[in-house]
Amino acid sequence: MEVRQQRILYIDPARCMGCRACETVCKLENDLPAGPRYTMVTEAETGEGETEKLNFLPVPCQHCGDAPCVRACPTGALHKREDGVVLTDRRKCVGCHECLWACPFGVPQFASDGRMSKCTMCVHRLDEGTLPACAANCPAEAILCDTVENISRILRERYGKTVFCGPFADRLNGEAAR
Amino acid sequence: MSETFNDIPWRRQEDLDAYAVRRNVPVWIGGKKVIADRVVKTCCPHNCYDTCGELVYVKDEKVIKIEGDPAHPITKGHLCLKGFANVQKINSPDRVKYPLLRTGERGEGKFRRISWDEAMDWMVDKIQSIQKTYGPEAILEYCYSGNREHMAKAVAGRLWNLMGASKLVGSFCLLSGVAGSVGCVGSQYTMDPQVWADHAQTLFLVGRNCTATNPHIFPFLYRAKERGATIIVVDPYATGVAAKADIHLRPRPGTDGALALGMIHWILAQGLEDKVFIAEKTTGFEELAAYVKEWTPELTERVTTVPKEQIIRTAEILAKTDAMFETGYGQQRYSNGHQTQQALACLAAVCGSFGKPSANYDCISGMAFPGITGFANGAAVSAPKGADIPKTRLVNIAAVARAVHEAQDPPIKGILSYRGGLISQQPDVDYTIEAVKKLDMFVTIEQFMTDDTDYADLVLPACHYLEQYGVHPSYWHNWHQILVPVCQPPYECVPDAEIFAQLGRRLGYEAYFPRETSGLDWCRMLVGEQCDFDAIVSPNGPARNPEKWCPEVPYQTFDTPSGKFEFHSSLLEERGKRFAGHYDPLPVYYEPDESVEATPELAKKYPINIISQHPSFRTHSQYYNLPWIREIEGEARVFLSRKDAEARGIRDGDKVRIFNDRGQLENITARVGIRLKPGVAEMSSGMWVKLGGSVNKLTKLVPAGPRDILAEDGILTEYDPLLDGNTGSYFNTLVEISRMEEQPWK
Repeated sequence: MEVRQQRILYIDPARCMGCRACETVCKLENDLPAGPRYTMVTEAETGEGETEKLNFLPVPCQHCGDAPCVRACPTGALHKREDGVVLTDRRKCVGCHECLWACPFGVPQFASDGRMSKCTMCVHRLDEGTLPACAANCPAEAILCDTVENISRILRERYGKTVFCGPFADRLNGEAAR
Repeated sequence: MSETFNDIPWRRQEDLDAYAVRRNVPVWIGGKKVIADRVVKTCCPHNCYDTCGELVYVKDEKVIKIEGDPAHPITKGHLCLKGFANVQKINSPDRVKYPLLRTGERGEGKFRRISWDEAMDWMVDKIQSIQKTYGPEAILEYCYSGNREHMAKAVAGRLWNLMGASKLVGSFCLLSGVAGSVGCVGSQYTMDPQVWADHAQTLFLVGRNCTATNPHIFPFLYRAKERGATIIVVDPYATGVAAKADIHLRPRPGTDGALALGMIHWILAQGLEDKVFIAEKTTGFEELAAYVKEWTPELTERVTTVPKEQIIRTAEILAKTDAMFETGYGQQRYSNGHQTQQALACLAAVCGSFGKPSANYDCISGMAFPGITGFANGAAVSAPKGADIPKTRLVNIAAVARAVHEAQDPPIKGILSYRGGLISQQPDVDYTIEAVKKLDMFVTIEQFMTDDTDYADLVLPACHYLEQYGVHPSYWHNWHQILVPVCQPPYECVPDAEIFAQLGRRLGYEAYFPRETSGLDWCRMLVGEQCDFDAIVSPNGPARNPEKWCPEVPYQTFDTPSGKFEFHSSLLEERGKRFAGHYDPLPVYYEPDESVEATPELAKKYPINIISQHPSFRTHSQYYNLPWIREIEGEARVFLSRKDAEARGIRDGDKVRIFNDRGQLENITARVGIRLKPGVAEMSSGMWVKLGGSVNKLTKLVPAGPRDILAEDGILTEYDPLLDGNTGSYFNTLVEISRMEEQPWK
């Protein structure tokens, strides 16, 4: 399958507002106790004075195009499916933590048996044609799961057509046009 | 070791498959397919704007999964983090499973298991002996919004009415704002969010932390924003919705009313007011115009600390564009809360933001209050026809601890508490505990061993909301779904309404609590004839509330005495002639009870104004004990500004002490950053007292107005919730924060 047709999880940071529903819907879907966190919403403070604000970003597995964890795994437990989903074969995992060293996002979690587990993009749902639990539930509609091509199209529809009204209209519409 | 549970012969057994949307449904749990016995449609009654539609999967009478109901037009199949955590909550091994009778001292938390029969005997005996010694008014219920549905409260109300017990009235949440709003506007409505999402040019949100308390508003806000609307947020705290705003105004806590007055001043000074709306649909404009003359941008900046350029810019946007007002409840949790909301309503009227699809005013939907004949009317259940119901004294929940301390002839001696955390949620924890210790009987109906149960004589095992019936119309959107039990009650838990019915029968009121009356029957009686009740009971529903009560574009007319929007409120003016309080007909600004301006001497000792948000993680004190929630929320934290932290040698992550004359909290983790301006700190409400994080150790019992209920010790003979108001003024609290001498290793 071509890379551009592979599925990814995309988080729209302009939409995520930090409600953390993705964290518990994931726990429920994947029957996880407290401990392994397949996704976690990070909060960052930015700006100064009038521009001070919070920024939110859920960090599930990025299912990287060229996944460092897959390359680092010495037992072949980590692998990438043809549709792009990075999965763990827990039978092959020895709990060596090499994937955690390799992952730039701190995604790998280690369950009480010492072996790695992480976000599976809810493959069980994907294979039935439904969205991952976090994407299906997000109250802010910030989590998308689709091909890069389709996500790009959705974002252009969301943000490419805005016609601003009100007193900032000239400036904002000018910016949007650039 | 497996526990055994006794049969409770009077607990109803019903065929719940009748409510199944589908049966034998495959569902994924942890990557495995499980066949659920049934899926039932219900809604969440946890005191939130959203009142989400839910689909609940049940296997072997256990809830195994919850999803949002995709057919719900507002919540659209999405739930919040708590919605899913209900699976952990309802199945928690820590549930109260059977009645428990206290064996140790109050506060020790020592109990022994007893049977329901013994529990009922104990209660009947205790209630009758209190009635005999002190009179029927020595008994009081304590109940709030832990499960905010109205049916069981109405069934309980029927019992209190028959007994002639003291009657709990009021709110410590939002009625001050409602009184300010009703005074100007009359009956309260909200406009469907789909309408403003497609039409408004500006969204104006005040005191509303939507991330935590109204997450389903976001798709509508984004729809408006992506159409090009401007979002303006007023909040001292940098909230999630403030992060999405074009303008975020951050007033000093408790000064939102002054901010609104300053904006009205500017709009009038520039001649930007909606002259047609004011001429045709309002009265009292001249009086308001005269009052706001003093509220120059300079004065407003001095009072609110918001730069005057921001005030002017916001005022001009509100006046020149079609602005939708979505006001929340945070801004009115100060002693001046009613005046704040009155000022906001007046600002909306000056801008002409009433009665248009693009520009309207939402405070709360009148459907929130179960007093509407034919839609939801608590009295239809609580005041049975033909019964002799004595007129009794009223106790206002916003001053309940004061009433228990001060009540005479008779004193309050017995409290039956359910659906509310008395100790953790009322202001001034130590004062509340002292009140509870004075009681001869304190019974709690609880799902978990909370702060309250530790002080209870008798703890009864409560049902989760998914295990009982209920009626909970949203106070924001206009879609309605009846709550039905999705599974049989576990252990020896009994639905609240059935506990009160059985207690009623045991107290001699068999005729009023027939055994054959089911929860659904009570709900039907409450809702009344004018709604298509069956259309909102699973597998049906939700349905939109009838246009008669919930017009799609409300506020075409006003039902005030003048039939117009009243800048100078005749309702409040008249009420003020009869009762003590701040019933100013105009939205006069006065300082909150405790603030750097109102109490400068106190502020020298305690210079920081602490406010408390309702966080996403919990519904007040609920969910705090769940592993999923504890993991996400982490330890108790206080947020403060860099400047305040630096001045006190506090670094991010340090353990701090927060204190004032009422109490102190220790070993709270300091989070230093941009979330608050200097002089303000925030610590979320609802953390448990016994776990060391309850901000109410610091707050003061001083209910917001307009009525001064402390002058009457919270004990009233007459009360109008929509005009007398009252809210806990939790946020006008001054504290000092210092670094703990001993810091854990980091």
